[in-house]
Amino acid sequence: MRRDKLRRLALPASLLGAILLLALAAPVLPLGNPVSQDINHRLAGISAGHWLGQDEYGRDVLTRLIWGARVSLSVAVSATVIATIVGTLLGILGGYFRGMVEIGTVRMAEIVLCFPPMLLALLVVTLLGPGAGTLIFTLAILFTPTFARVAYAETLSVRALDYVTAQEALGARSGRILLRTLLPNIAPPLIVQFSLTIAAAMLLESGLSFLGLGVVPPDPSWGLMIRGARTTMEQAPLLLLWPCLALTGTVLVLNLFCDRLRNALDPGTGGRSRPGFLRRLAVLAGAAEQPAAVPGLLAVRKLTLEVQGPTGPVPVVRDVNITVAPGETLAVVGESGSGKTLTGLAVMGLLPAAVRVTAGQILYTGRDGRTRDLLRLPERALRALRGRDLSMVFQDPASSLNPLLRIDAHLGEALRAHGQRQGIAARVVELLRNVGLPDPESRARSYPHELSGGQRQRVMIAAAIANHPRLLLADEPTTALDVTVQAQILDLLAGLKRSEEGMGMVFVTHNLAVVAEIADRVAVMYAGEVVEEGPVAEVFAAPRHPYTAALIASTPEGDAERLTSIPGRVPQAWAMPEGCRFAPRCEHARAICDQSAPALESPAPGRTTRCLRWKELA
Amino acid sequence: MLAYAARRLLVSLALVWVVATLVFMVIHIIPGDPAELLLAQGGVAPDPWLVTDLREKLGLDQPLMTQYWTYLGGLAQGNFGYSLLDDHSVADEIALRLPRTLELVGAAALIALLFGLPLGVLAALRAGEALDRLLSSLAALALSVPVFVVGTLIILVLAQNLRLVPAGGYIAFATDPLRHLGLLLMPAITIAVGLGAVVLRVTRGSVLEVLERDHVRAAQARGVSVAAIIRRHVVRNALTPVVTVVALHLGALLGGTVLVEFVFNWPGVSGYLVRSVESRDYPEVMGIVLVISSIFVLLNFLVDLLYAVIDPRVRHG
Repeated sequence: MRRDKLRRLALPASLLGAILLLALAAPVLPLGNPVSQDINHRLAGISAGHWLGQDEYGRDVLTRLIWGARVSLSVAVSATVIATIVGTLLGILGGYFRGMVEIGTVRMAEIVLCFPPMLLALLVVTLLGPGAGTLIFTLAILFTPTFARVAYAETLSVRALDYVTAQEALGARSGRILLRTLLPNIAPPLIVQFSLTIAAAMLLESGLSFLGLGVVPPDPSWGLMIRGARTTMEQAPLLLLWPCLALTGTVLVLNLFCDRLRNALDPGTGGRSRPGFLRRLAVLAGAAEQPAAVPGLLAVRKLTLEVQGPTGPVPVVRDVNITVAPGETLAVVGESGSGKTLTGLAVMGLLPAAVRVTAGQILYTGRDGRTRDLLRLPERALRALRGRDLSMVFQDPASSLNPLLRIDAHLGEALRAHGQRQGIAARVVELLRNVGLPDPESRARSYPHELSGGQRQRVMIAAAIANHPRLLLADEPTTALDVTVQAQILDLLAGLKRSEEGMGMVFVTHNLAVVAEIADRVAVMYAGEVVEEGPVAEVFAAPRHPYTAALIASTPEGDAERLTSIPGRVPQAWAMPEGCRFAPRCEHARAICDQSAPALESPAPGRTTRCLRWKELA
Repeated sequence: MLAYAARRLLVSLALVWVVATLVFMVIHIIPGDPAELLLAQGGVAPDPWLVTDLREKLGLDQPLMTQYWTYLGGLAQGNFGYSLLDDHSVADEIALRLPRTLELVGAAALIALLFGLPLGVLAALRAGEALDRLLSSLAALALSVPVFVVGTLIILVLAQNLRLVPAGGYIAFATDPLRHLGLLLMPAITIAVGLGAVVLRVTRGSVLEVLERDHVRAAQARGVSVAAIIRRHVVRNALTPVVTVVALHLGALLGGTVLVEFVFNWPGVSGYLVRSVESRDYPEVMGIVLVISSIFVLLNFLVDLLYAVIDPRVRHG
């Protein structure tokens, strides 16, 4: 990844190098004098001696172009160097001493930003008169505050680092530590800012020279050349083109260099992938043949999901089977990273772009009694099911509501998306009342930020049940809420099961106490697999998988007399054990467990386990 | 909302005062006698008699605080001083030319938003595809072409070679509305090229960021169509950074019109400024810089109000 970024940097870097070299080498190149005139050949075209022709005073255009690069670049670079040094110093001082020093340094510099840059430049030129010196001085003033800001922000963040604070608390003189830490941190943003500023300085310099207020003739500058060529553009339009190309090209190369440099210095992956929801990347190829009808509401069969890792595809969910009958609540439990949320998102067809479905079926039987495979359904057909047949309540109600839309807009769009046109306002209020929101009429007109966390989750639930879904997926709906509110939301969901007749529910959680309270059946997930499934009471009374047993033993609300924790940690997705995935942490593991992956077995009617030794352990 | 607006207005007025004070100070901060500096030509010491005369004219012979109070008092009455060359009132000249500049900037912003916003959204939705790469490259190019190069090339091609449009100039709207708008279009487009590229880039980045947010996925889970999600949940939420950046650039543009007005002979406030700088007519320069900087500050005030309109959280915050 990183090498790739560096390779992309090579092109603009070498172009930039070439431009700089040309400018530096101007005096030793076999060029004429950039200011020597030849009035007899004014506006002469391209010739052997003058590759780009001659200008309005008969001066060689190529010579002036290269010397112009020298003038433009030297003004821009000197101004930027001054601004970098002064700005960085001001920023570090302000960030280190804070208080009055900060006001005297960073805040003072920022006053410059109150003025449009071109105007301030003109103000200074009025006082000092045009010329290269004035230009450098002006540009330096203009760009100092930006560097001061960068250095200030970095200084503050370094000061806040734990070991710097610790040293200060110990009474150590922190100045040296600060500088040692600061300099490597501050270098990347400064380098990027440096090249950006050179480009900006070139634009301003050429603009001022173009107005006749920058570089003083007869010195060549690209801005001045464009100014000169404008007067003769009817006779010699090409004269206009060369300096325009040179200026634009140089700025373009500089900007490109900055972009790629920033990418190369950024430790992140850089370049976001395409947003997933616009096209269902997860959809499986293959004919959308009518699958055989299955009893029940939902049957996930052999679902396998992969994520594209740095070294190849990594399976994150493997061979998952779950079923939900109408009116039934299935709890899916497991530690974070066990794949329970991804399984839920796969049912909704809302997997993130990075996750790919590689195998399996998600069979859903609709109101019409037809069974569809959701993994092979076109996006259009799936969208018609979302929010009407299948609904989802997410973990964090604060971020799941659009902060700019009122509550009624969220509920209204859920109704409108499925064809309701009339009586929406009344239905919204009714829904809000059904989920126990006080004063639903005025709450409907509120914005999400005006509601408490529990109220927001009630709104999310109201939106989810707006169209009487047949299956409600609740993904840890109480995790982000206060403990006192959690119970209320659970009560609400339990109540919904009674009022919404025949609605099945998949309740994703890591809380076993909640499972016992709300679910009929439970599926225990570990490292991307369902390791045990069965009726809640049976599973809790007699777990048939050591992981389930360990999970129950580690729950304070469980029946265990002594609280135990499971040793070790969940294996990483790219380093899964060959055999049983739980074997490395299992106290009952034998050699055989490491050798072959256990198949799904049925210890009792309606129950499954993925343990080789369940019979011995039972 | 009203309290919020009042608070922001107070801050803006304070900033205007800071700007006015700074403009006043600049002439005194720069080392050397201001009158001598203004009269200096290529390092030749000016006639002492002229220096004394100018010093008197600018009131530089009086104590600093007296000068400051006279200056602020004048500003409060809308008096920006008088031209050194012809004793014309600076305020009158600005009042005549400022609307033309504002019209130009407004038209440019309109064009830039008209193209930049939809194209930015499009680029984000097609991120990584050929269309996005094309749009992003065009934006990078547009950002690298200096505004006076764009203007000059437009004149070269459209006015000079193809003779489609006049090379610039100005006709009052009252005299001939159609020709007025025709002449407005070219300089406005010239400014809009760079500004539109900025809008495109910011919009693209902002939309990409919003697309990843939870509430977009939640809306999807409700079965809302892609078009409605983009309209209601993405574009509006992505607008705040776009507004900020456009406003900041508009402020910078108020100075940047200098070049475009010069290229197209648009008799706005900037042409007046260039002339004043050339003749080093300090009261004129001071007046124009002060007015434009104040507009810059007020623009930021309007942006703050716009935030409150876009985002209800700001209103209550």
